[in-house]
Amino acid sequence: MVQRLKEVDVVVIGVGMVGSIVAKELAAAGYKVVGLERGQTRFTVPEFQSPAVHDELRFDIRKALMQDNTREPVTFRNQGSQVALPVRRWESFLPGTGLGGSMVHWNGQTYRFQATDFQLATRTRERYGKNFLDPDVTIQDWGVTYDDLEPHYDRFEYLLGTSGKAGNIKGRIQAGGDPHESPRFRDYPTPPQKEHFQGAMFRKAAGSLGYHPFPQPSSNLSQPYTNPEGVKLNACVFCGFCERYACEHYAKSVPQTVILPVLLANPNFELRTGCQVQRIDLDSTKKHATGVTYIDAVGRVFEQPASLVITSTFAINNIRMLLLSGIGKPYDPATGHGVVGRNYAYQTMSTVASFFDEDVIINPFMASGASGTLINDFAGDNFDHSGLGFIGGAYIGAVNTNGRPIQYHPVPPGTPAWGKGWKQAVVKHYNHTVMFSCHGSSVSQRQNYCDLDPTYRDAWGQPVLRITFDFPPNDIKMAAYVTAKAVEIGKAMGAKQVVGSPRKGPYTVTQYQTTHNTGGTVMGDDPKTSVVNRYLQSWDVPNVFVIGASNYPQNATWNPTGTLGALTYWAIDALKNKYLKNPGRLVSA
Amino acid sequence: MNAPAPPFVRFTFSFLLIAALPCALAASATPAPAATPAATPAAKPAAAKPAAATPAAAAPPCEACHGAHGEGMAAAHVPRIARQSADYLKKQLDDYAAGTRDNPIMANFAKALSEQQRAKFAARYAAMSAPYIPQPKPPIAVHLARGHQLAFQGDEAKRVQACNACHGPDGVGVPHAAPYLAGQSAEFLASALKAFKDGTRKNDAGELMRSVAERLDDADIAAVTGYFASVDLSNH
Amino acid sequence: MDKVTRRSFVTTVGAATVAPASALLPLAAAAAPAKTANIAEPPKTTYLFFNAAEVLFIEAACERLIPADESGPGALGAGVPNYLDKQLGGAWGAGERLYRSGPWQPGTPSQGYQLPFTPAELFHASLRAINRDLDAHGTPFHDMSPEAQDAYLKSLESGAHDFDGVPSGVFFDMLLKMSIEGFFSDPVYGGNRNMVAWRMIGFPGAYADYYEAIDRHGVKFEREPMSLAEDGHGNIHVRQDIPANL
Repeated sequence: MVQRLKEVDVVVIGVGMVGSIVAKELAAAGYKVVGLERGQTRFTVPEFQSPAVHDELRFDIRKALMQDNTREPVTFRNQGSQVALPVRRWESFLPGTGLGGSMVHWNGQTYRFQATDFQLATRTRERYGKNFLDPDVTIQDWGVTYDDLEPHYDRFEYLLGTSGKAGNIKGRIQAGGDPHESPRFRDYPTPPQKEHFQGAMFRKAAGSLGYHPFPQPSSNLSQPYTNPEGVKLNACVFCGFCERYACEHYAKSVPQTVILPVLLANPNFELRTGCQVQRIDLDSTKKHATGVTYIDAVGRVFEQPASLVITSTFAINNIRMLLLSGIGKPYDPATGHGVVGRNYAYQTMSTVASFFDEDVIINPFMASGASGTLINDFAGDNFDHSGLGFIGGAYIGAVNTNGRPIQYHPVPPGTPAWGKGWKQAVVKHYNHTVMFSCHGSSVSQRQNYCDLDPTYRDAWGQPVLRITFDFPPNDIKMAAYVTAKAVEIGKAMGAKQVVGSPRKGPYTVTQYQTTHNTGGTVMGDDPKTSVVNRYLQSWDVPNVFVIGASNYPQNATWNPTGTLGALTYWAIDALKNKYLKNPGRLVSA
Repeated sequence: MNAPAPPFVRFTFSFLLIAALPCALAASATPAPAATPAATPAAKPAAAKPAAATPAAAAPPCEACHGAHGEGMAAAHVPRIARQSADYLKKQLDDYAAGTRDNPIMANFAKALSEQQRAKFAARYAAMSAPYIPQPKPPIAVHLARGHQLAFQGDEAKRVQACNACHGPDGVGVPHAAPYLAGQSAEFLASALKAFKDGTRKNDAGELMRSVAERLDDADIAAVTGYFASVDLSNH
Repeated sequence: MDKVTRRSFVTTVGAATVAPASALLPLAAAAAPAKTANIAEPPKTTYLFFNAAEVLFIEAACERLIPADESGPGALGAGVPNYLDKQLGGAWGAGERLYRSGPWQPGTPSQGYQLPFTPAELFHASLRAINRDLDAHGTPFHDMSPEAQDAYLKSLESGAHDFDGVPSGVFFDMLLKMSIEGFFSDPVYGGNRNMVAWRMIGFPGAYADYYEAIDRHGVKFEREPMSLAEDGHGNIHVRQDIPANL
């Protein structure tokens, strides 16, 4: 028995950072907005308070803030020839849930992509020729440029209060920042966070090799800050319980600390929690959405009619939402036709461990989620790839975020996995090891995609998302190359022993890497290779907009969140100034 | 500057300033030899003043206000410092000396000490014990409850996190991070919060205390300080 | 550095402790004993999940995985078997956070754990099979020499045994993983007694404001570790009911 509710102007599916920003802007513009969140409300007080929140077992190991995989898992396989099986415990990536979404438990690492990234296919062809890429690689241009997005990057960074040092302001290179970055209009809203010891050691070593170290841009703030929404954040105290945890100090930029107080105070906005959206409802033409159907916590089924539907769930859940709703043609890797689920990508992560003598005291537990110092000299297309046989790159940095001992107890290769030898090695190395991250790009390839699983269903009876993914050979080559560069930096730090662990296939869901799942609802200029147009509007159903890292045609070197914030404001601009004034297709197909 | 002391105490301070020690002379920039006995062999040259400048009863000037056992003087807003963490006490003395924390009386004492001597005083008081002193007028239940809430939970509407998150379980303090609040006098705590709130005290790293204090109103300040003053962590 | 413990925070002062006015008092020795000593004997645990035969294996096996040595207590001294017992007997053992629907297939290594067993079921089934196996072939595990115990554990680890369809490596991996959790988790969960594991490596625990300390590059951080469950007297209030969600 479905209860049909009174129509509203806008339904926002998923009240994370994207949903919160979209809802706030549209509610402030006078529209009636309903936000449907499957999880519960939670706020800094009382839910995020320490010491209770500084519980590694609960939040790190047992994933207490994450999507309930017992009711809503995904299935996974490396190859299409395999049977996809449920991810029975989250490990590799950790989708969030609840008010504020994944950005409650994020690390605060806040990056922009570079100009080249948005025209990656064109630039790669121009620089390296048509035949440089593996034929299976399906990278594309985005349909927007960095210049289109720059003012929106700025707006997002100022919403968050991101702490950093600009490297390029309007074309003028700034000492101490990243000289490789694309030009920005102005500096970050707050200065960089303090550098931890590992970052300082890295900076000296990388500088000595002629590279260009700079502080990681951090949305764990370096000082008190009042954002343009009038919401105030405090300074971060480097507690070392950042990613997978919520911040007790109002110091991490999360929806609760940057925008929810404004959104929740607007009577044009109504938040409904415990609401699992089943699908976006379409009319008989299948080209117009009439609203959404959702099931509440008590099991009642509702139809919420709306003129405009925004799906702003976590990236992979956006893909699923379109598939469950029948919006857009699902991708078929056998034929290459279809677009929904196509160009799924991830992040290619490698590490380097530098072991020191016991007189070098690292104190790894003193860090924020975005502490550290890094270089972009081997990121993106910042170096000449001629003859290397791959595109893309990684940032390399001493960006360690914690010393939480259940998971962090580095030991050199050859150490036994248990017993006296293991214990001795743990004691010897815990406080005397520097960890580098090589955070690398992820090209899309035709074999990596998402669709609906034929066998497994969620607790509501709907097919779960199936992920078919393995690291493209391009990215394995890239990882080997950048890890070798990182090892050189480790040696330049004077470590006794430097161990590089370049990413090797096959991709496994059993080891944490990042929660940077991208693609599947790709944006672009051509409906044959994209799901949404450059304004994130569905080609098939013009009153549906899809906002998430699912829009990325491939993943760049850097963490996706900063770019997602920029795309959100870019889409809001199109919604407010174009679409809502004159609903219809914003781009002719 | 701290809240002005009541007239009686101000008079007492003046008496002590005159009668006690060279280090108390407001204009003097010379270190006070009596402040540290021969236990500091490698004293700076300026510290080796002739003993004639020193009266025989060279009690450390701290006791006069902070009490024989470091228990403080609640009515005068002088804090209990017994068992306070040594690094916190040292930092306050350094800040007084540098002017980063503004208090003319404490500045005189602190400037008269070398950094080594400040460390010694800090260590001395960190090792001291003093009995718990109940408040003459304990807070009423609803204030205690509000104070307890702020201590353990915080307040979302005011965007204030739990005091204990930094100040430790039951406000017992966390070395190298935050001083104890438990058993501290409500008067002193209130004067400190007000000083952070109005910006006259600015030596909190990262503006962490200013960020909190600016969001507390007078009722909250009374509640949370009365609560912490009521926390008795002495062994029974 | 401040090593005085909080248990002697405020004490009654007698006249004898008043110092002579002219002397600088020597730094008082730490008035209270440290919260932990090297624990010579394993703590007494009331087992609710493991039966007597299982206890014998678990206590011996955990102590081989994380042995006591010069750096400090091992699994027994830290209460790791107690941690296992309480977690396996609670919500986590019953399958909290585990997707439990079929169909089931072994899968590739990339696809991770694919057995229908909850952790509790896996432990009981595996321990039953291990004890049956060892009873049939001679020496019970707890009576073996340490070398023989290590050899047997390695054989489990390598998957050399099949426990009615459960590869022994799956059980071993879970045993090792949970033992490390029991060693390094906050003592609120009943392991890491007196924070021995945190002391061993110098991890300060749940109270974690390092705003000023982070500037002291290369300087050892001298502070007793602190549990999220301790009160102002330093007593740790163990809890068995913390959920794996918010």
